Amino acid sequence: MAATRFTAGSDYGVGIGLRIPHYAHILEKKPVVGWFEIISENYMCEGGRALAVLDQILEQYRVVQHGVSMYFGNSSRPNRDHLRKLKRLVKRTGTPWLSDHLCWGSVDGTYSHDLLPMPYTWEAVEKTARNIREVQDFIGIPVAVENLSSYAEFHASEMTEWEFLAEVVERADCGILLDVNNIYVSSINHTFDPRDYLAGIPHERVAQIHLAGHSRYAKYLLDTHDHPVCDPVWEIYKRAIEACGRTATLLEWDDKIPSFDEVHAEALKAEKYLPAAKSKKRAA
Amino acid sequence: MKRTAKQPALGDIQRLMFDCLRRPLTKDECLQPRTARGRSTADLVATFIKPNDRLTSFERLELYAQQYWWRLLGSFSEDFRGLRAVLGEKKFDRLALAYIEAQPSRSWTLRNLGERLESFLLAHPAFTAPRTRLALDVVRVEWARTVAFDGPERRPIHPQKLAGADAASVKLKLQPHITLLELTHPVDRLFAKLKRTAQDQSASSNAVSAARASRRARVDVRPSRAPIHLAVHRVNCSVYYKRLEPEACILLSAIQSGATLADACGVAFLGSKKKTGDITASISKWFATWTELGWLC
Repeated sequence: MAATRFTAGSDYGVGIGLRIPHYAHILEKKPVVGWFEIISENYMCEGGRALAVLDQILEQYRVVQHGVSMYFGNSSRPNRDHLRKLKRLVKRTGTPWLSDHLCWGSVDGTYSHDLLPMPYTWEAVEKTARNIREVQDFIGIPVAVENLSSYAEFHASEMTEWEFLAEVVERADCGILLDVNNIYVSSINHTFDPRDYLAGIPHERVAQIHLAGHSRYAKYLLDTHDHPVCDPVWEIYKRAIEACGRTATLLEWDDKIPSFDEVHAEALKAEKYLPAAKSKKRAA
Repeated sequence: MKRTAKQPALGDIQRLMFDCLRRPLTKDECLQPRTARGRSTADLVATFIKPNDRLTSFERLELYAQQYWWRLLGSFSEDFRGLRAVLGEKKFDRLALAYIEAQPSRSWTLRNLGERLESFLLAHPAFTAPRTRLALDVVRVEWARTVAFDGPERRPIHPQKLAGADAASVKLKLQPHITLLELTHPVDRLFAKLKRTAQDQSASSNAVSAARASRRARVDVRPSRAPIHLAVHRVNCSVYYKRLEPEACILLSAIQSGATLADACGVAFLGSKKKTGDITASISKWFATWTELGWLC
């Protein structure tokens, strides 16, 4: 069940990512949707259309914030200006928790605008946990950290990705946004068994799950969010729900975006696997 | 889990990887075979990235390098469509690469990627020659568009409050999303032309190749005989251009700089040969328009 301290006691079912091509449909038709996930950075501005639309969405729907540029895994500390803007947006949306990625993305103030993979070292565990704690303390709501799709591994790594994730979230005392598509993509790219990944993480900390599609190339998979969810990813999702119980679930579709109804229908397939609300209690 | 005695510092790994992926790609969009210092990139990358059974260390990093360049070039190209149309594809691509290499993103948002483009062009006119003045005008307007698109908006002053204000002491402000520009080319008309061209192209068969489409999209505009004063602003979430009379632009600039209303009006018509009655009528008309547009706060 979703209501834990990592979701601030909120019990959310299936939602979808709020994307610009769907704005008009949503505002006009007001479809019944469990909740929307927004990309925080798209609304961390001080005026204009994005905020106007967001305010209209907030009148009707529950919104959860998801970020792409906090870079918890940076060697340096979080950017204070970014944090202040994020906090302002949190006040506006009333998001019960927020998430960002287990990655790094900038060095000495220069930004890659990418989710770069971590070397799984003890130093990285400590610095990443420190940064998450700092963000959590500053923003004042629970933070969930999302596992990446990655295409490279480091010689310096001292543990597996799931061991790294588990160490980080325990030390930061934060939640996990478990992206089951990312588990699948990385399992192919780095040749591991997704079941080992699922078995190796603290299930009670899983605050949210991401579903998405990917693209297959000759030598690797790429996390493109431009396809429906494939069967192996649904299989991982099913196992994740068995392990974690009812969990807020979100479908991401970011490229070649089909109609709202198509995206929503794809997301609602998750309901087949989700226990009903309050059917099972989970310690937190 | 193994705890190894000595691992490279996290910051060093990140700096090394970032330096590698920020090197401009080759013409074939691959990682450069040599580093800036002449070392084999493959050898260097192999020291910190593991290969797998399908990809070498070099190929794995190359995926990230491609994503970096494609993302930043794509964003830059989106933000400066007008400049692209003025310079043409090849010249624009050369400029984009040089700019991003020299002025990489220093912000968490790609929205700010182009904020130093004007100063870069002033320092490196060769990238835009012989159309440097036009290119600079276009870049100023395109950056102003970015500011107008999502800049802050303050509560506008109520016309009644303005009518009752003491001009000698009251200091107004201009909405922060407004940029006032003095241009040598009618860039607003150029953008209208560009929009029409784009619409014409979108209505045509998609069998046209990308290269051909880009040639069609190239636009030109002659310099204006007199400076053009333009306000780039936002109304109801849409960005607009508004031409201003020279004195109106000076007046608004003075307000923006913190002058009192009386001083701003005074400086706008300093040395003007206009009759007092005409000046008063102009000021009344302008303020009526500006308050209606919500420009003053």
